[in-house]
Amino acid sequence: MKRRDVIALLGLLSLGGAAVLWRNLASLWRPGSNVHIARTLAALADVMFPGDGIPGASGLGLHNRIEAMPDLTALMTTGVDWLDKYAVRQGVSDFLALDETGRLAAVDAAFASHDGDTRQFVLTLRYHLGTAYYSEPVVKAVFAYTGPPQPDGFADFGDRPA
Amino acid sequence: MNDDAGWDVVIAGAGAGGAATAYGLCQRGLSVLLLDAGPRFDPATDYPLTEADWEARDFPEKPGSTGAVTFAPGQKLIGDEPLLVSGSRGLGPAVTNGVRWMEKYHHVRGIGGSTLHFTGEAHRIHPDAMKMKSRFGVAADWPIDYAELEPYYVRAEQLIGVAGPAVQGARWRSLGFPLPPHPLSYAARTLGSGAAALGLGWQANSRAALSLPWGGRPPCNYCGACNKGCPRGDKGSADVTFVTAALATGRCTVRPDSPVVRIETGPGDRVTAVLVGRPDGSIERIECRNIVLACGAVETPRLLLASDGLGNESGEVGRNFMDTLEVVVGALHPEPQHGRRGLPSDAICWDFNAPDAIPSVVGGCRFYNASGESELKGLAGFAMRAVPGWGRAHAQSVRRLWGHSLYVGAIGERLPNRDSRVELDPTTRDRFGMPVARIASFLDAPDIARLRFMAAKSHELLAASGAERIFESYSSWDWFSATHVFGTCRMGGDAESSVVDASGRSHRWRNLWITDASVFPSSGGGEAPSLTIQALALRTAARLVQHSRDSRSY
Repeated sequence: MKRRDVIALLGLLSLGGAAVLWRNLASLWRPGSNVHIARTLAALADVMFPGDGIPGASGLGLHNRIEAMPDLTALMTTGVDWLDKYAVRQGVSDFLALDETGRLAAVDAAFASHDGDTRQFVLTLRYHLGTAYYSEPVVKAVFAYTGPPQPDGFADFGDRPA
Repeated sequence: MNDDAGWDVVIAGAGAGGAATAYGLCQRGLSVLLLDAGPRFDPATDYPLTEADWEARDFPEKPGSTGAVTFAPGQKLIGDEPLLVSGSRGLGPAVTNGVRWMEKYHHVRGIGGSTLHFTGEAHRIHPDAMKMKSRFGVAADWPIDYAELEPYYVRAEQLIGVAGPAVQGARWRSLGFPLPPHPLSYAARTLGSGAAALGLGWQANSRAALSLPWGGRPPCNYCGACNKGCPRGDKGSADVTFVTAALATGRCTVRPDSPVVRIETGPGDRVTAVLVGRPDGSIERIECRNIVLACGAVETPRLLLASDGLGNESGEVGRNFMDTLEVVVGALHPEPQHGRRGLPSDAICWDFNAPDAIPSVVGGCRFYNASGESELKGLAGFAMRAVPGWGRAHAQSVRRLWGHSLYVGAIGERLPNRDSRVELDPTTRDRFGMPVARIASFLDAPDIARLRFMAAKSHELLAASGAERIFESYSSWDWFSATHVFGTCRMGGDAESSVVDASGRSHRWRNLWITDASVFPSSGGGEAPSLTIQALALRTAARLVQHSRDSRSY
């Protein structure tokens, strides 16, 4: 939550109106809000990199890194908006309301989109999330030959890999 | 003669050429001030190859270790070149606007220069590639021949501790390599089976990496990360070889963080001093008896042009720029290879290296095992580039295919032309007010034809090795990403068409010498240039000492 949201909440509290407070809190989860975008990015992270016997991308908190990249804010906002509109066309309120099959279809549609921003959104998300995901020690540990090259080097460099 | 000078020779640039020059001069009794624009790197602490995130880190940048350059607009890409389009299955095409991407001139400023991040191939140039004009009607001849350079190759190889095979085709030797060749990696042997099926030669590459202990340095442990800096010191970068040897004479002073920003001249066609930038932004004036420029084929012409066109009587300073002509192709093999194990570029095919070896195209090339230096950046790079898609299917494919990649690389002759050059940027200056270099690079039809051959043969070699699923390819056709650069202060016998003479000395300025790849009249057929730079530098050092003694100018 940004500083201005906190200030707004404090202002609302000073008014003492519980109904007003509820309406404003709820609005943070609505499409277009920061919280909604964050939750959607977390869901997308697990759709794209769900793990396979190991933690998925959101379980590793990787969507938070995307949120922390100011250069991507506009692109993420645009992309989440596109996904939400896609979901509405499927008869639900937003992307988060889709079941797993629906989310997969939505991301598929985004990759196949002819809209430049939408395609850039999913490609960028895939690149940043995927690079971060497969750089995580817990993920690398599942794969052979991913450790640091030094200090031991590879004494088996001439052998068929185990 | 300048009696106020504190050293016999001031050298600008402590990379392959400057360090070898310093050693050659100090060994013969001259005193040297070896300056470099960049910092000193500490192999033990600056190259974090023991860290968990090693693959995400490139060669480290330190303050002053990267100089700024700008680029002229990239070449418009004409025609359909399916084999030369850069990109990967996972990330798509690298270039989408129809214009060659002028991405980067890869170099390192610092004590050791670009040898700090080089792969460490140690090649002699093909003898015929030194006579491109007289033999093949293109580029320019070297004013010396292979036999003239050969004794200096031997000296450089001995000091570095080059490991290589007994025979390398046309590159005759008066003495064998000091160390035996490295054994081939598993991935290199897989590619070797493909080479054999195609009837191609495939042998151990000659490497500036120790196969046995040498000169107090340990042997390589085959970590595969030469380009990120060698923390052990077994890679023969200039800092642990020539600089160390020069310092051991007691006649060399090394000063990092000292960019030369201007050269001053005096009467009698002599240079008199260099102006050197200090870290605090001030300028120091250092008197010179002799100056050697060894800043590389981009920075050396920049310095001359910024010094009121010093040495440019022919108009050739900055002209004849030749950059790296390269193709790298990656494919998936049915069996795991884990090609990052072992020395990068450990195996090589020289069959097409002679200038007349490629059918219908003048200028040679060589092929090599690029599996270890593809900048795949470990598992993350593999997952993003080699395996398209996302979701569970992607995760399962990454699991199944990790370690199956094989790469073939090819580097070829790059011919000079009038549109490829280094000049001063008219608007951008560095912190000392010196204009930065602007690089213009244009590929002519023969270069593109050579690239096509290199790409097609790389595909053939991969397929013959069993790796038929190409997942990425990068080429100089649409992507300028140069490491080897040449030609901008060409050496030659004719003062009208070259910058330095056969000794590496300016045709006019009697105490101005150049010992970097800017003096190469031709690039060679894909050979890594550092060993030839060092051999030339040792030869120029010998000439400089002789000249100084003859003229009593020091």
